[in-house]
Amino acid sequence: MTNSPMPSYDPGNVQGLILRGYTHTYSCHMLFTFSSCLGAAGFIRALLPHVQSAEAWTHKPERMLNIGLTFNGILTFEPGFKGQFPNEFESGPWSDGTQASLNDTGPSAPNTWWNGHDGQDIHCIVHTYGLTDGALADLVSIVSQAADANSVSEILPLKPGTGQCGRLEQYAPLKNFIHFGYRDGIDNPALGWPADPAVTAPDDANNFLIGYPGSKFHPGPESGPAAEFARDGCYNAFRVLHQNVVAFERFLTDTAPTVVAAIGGSEDQAREWLAAKLAGRWRKGSPLALSPRAQDDATADKTDFLYVDDRDALKCPFSAHTRVANPRDDLILSDAPVPRLIRRGMPYGVLPALSDCEERGLIGLFLCGSLAGQFEKLYSWINVNDFNNVFSPGFDTQDALLANRSLPSAVDRSFTIPISENASIKIKSLPQFIITRGTAYCLLPSMRTLRRVAGLSE
Amino acid sequence: MANPLTLYIPIRQDPTTQAAAQAAHDHFVSTYTEVLDHFGKVHYARFVLIPNPGVTGILAVCVITSFDGPMNPYLQDFWNDESLKKVFSGLAGMALVDTPVANFTQFENFINNHNLSKMNELYGAYKLTVKQIKAKSEPPV
Repeated sequence: MTNSPMPSYDPGNVQGLILRGYTHTYSCHMLFTFSSCLGAAGFIRALLPHVQSAEAWTHKPERMLNIGLTFNGILTFEPGFKGQFPNEFESGPWSDGTQASLNDTGPSAPNTWWNGHDGQDIHCIVHTYGLTDGALADLVSIVSQAADANSVSEILPLKPGTGQCGRLEQYAPLKNFIHFGYRDGIDNPALGWPADPAVTAPDDANNFLIGYPGSKFHPGPESGPAAEFARDGCYNAFRVLHQNVVAFERFLTDTAPTVVAAIGGSEDQAREWLAAKLAGRWRKGSPLALSPRAQDDATADKTDFLYVDDRDALKCPFSAHTRVANPRDDLILSDAPVPRLIRRGMPYGVLPALSDCEERGLIGLFLCGSLAGQFEKLYSWINVNDFNNVFSPGFDTQDALLANRSLPSAVDRSFTIPISENASIKIKSLPQFIITRGTAYCLLPSMRTLRRVAGLSE
Repeated sequence: MANPLTLYIPIRQDPTTQAAAQAAHDHFVSTYTEVLDHFGKVHYARFVLIPNPGVTGILAVCVITSFDGPMNPYLQDFWNDESLKKVFSGLAGMALVDTPVANFTQFENFINNHNLSKMNELYGAYKLTVKQIKAKSEPPV
């Protein structure tokens, strides 16, 4: 315990996206390059009236936006900040240091990202939201006009000719689901605020907001002029993942007979059972830890559970995605805190049944106070489950859904599903379900910092 | 596949700094074996004193390691461990170029800025990690 109470924060100074999960069904995430500081300032100034803070609203805004700046974007305004931000943020997600965690190789390699555009040219990402498609279209138009007026160029991150307009647009008809058929947006940190910084839980908001004591993840920068710039901001690991829905569904269909032979039931039931075992949740949301036999609407939104009575993985396989991405009480080989992420994700691209276009997937916003300590650490565990020898006796298994199967190190691409004390279904080699289309590291600055870079009084 | 760290820090030539560098070298293995064992990702680590060419004294200290996986995500574990924080803060305190390491961001950048090695620059005769090797070679407790 310390004698210093925890300072409070002002939600009005924090961008809303950080602390609030938006339920707007329509969104578009636009990437921009600045050509000059003057133009960049004018662009931000034009968008400021629409930026949503974390203050509680009495009426849900019909349209709103939030703004992220990459390190190159920040340098446009503050060239003297070089060397003051965390190394991984300055170096970028394509750097060797970060790629040692993300392992984007082959078709996911950084030189394939962003439709051939250089990731270093991404200076700003504007996240626009609308309650209706008309409201979103109006806001996107406002942003485009602001860009044109200030010589700010838009980067279209999706390949032309793929059936997409090129922008990252949320596929609204899927609402709360993603393309693999899973319900999304269930489990996010509770974002408490500790009374004593010395007693900070991994879920607390001071692990995500820069500028407050107590976090073992040390959101930074923590001193100097850059710290003031970053205070009340949060990092966004913005990651676009193509989902190979055809390969995923084919895998479920091809593997279903093996499941039926082992546990009985129909092939349709086997497909759903297998999908649940890969993710750790049934596709409609119930966690296997609470509902191991079937989807149960009573547990569909539950997030407060542990794995203490599932150490043999009979309910939820060790390498199921949600068990790796949030190990909860499984992290028994380390006394380091469990890294958490605030996740804002939405699908892009049309359903396979409605389009021949194969470009579809997930727009992921992974918010954290430390890109290396939270996002990169978790992603390294996704690629290799090396944090727990109960999980993975060879320290070499992989996340069942997201991992890169073509790692240079020795990994075990099999997936084991225990079905009884003495029996399991072992899938020899999981396919590659995901390809990275791009990653950008952004700071979501405070409202005060946005006014500062816009040349307004703070 | 292991990754390299070659932390090269030119140090001040005053007697206090020179003695501190010598002491850090002499006690490195005995002081840090337990914590590095607990960390479980470092294959080898050595603390080297680079001599001044042609004259007495120490030009620079160099910590050379090979370790599993990425580096930056685990630097927080080093900073959060008081004994490891002390050794790295001590090294920064010896540096010829004054470099504050008063918080984690400064520490992370200090390590990266003084690391001469890049990822994928290390020859490895094997791909197994420390944890995998120990799991295969040591009897279960």
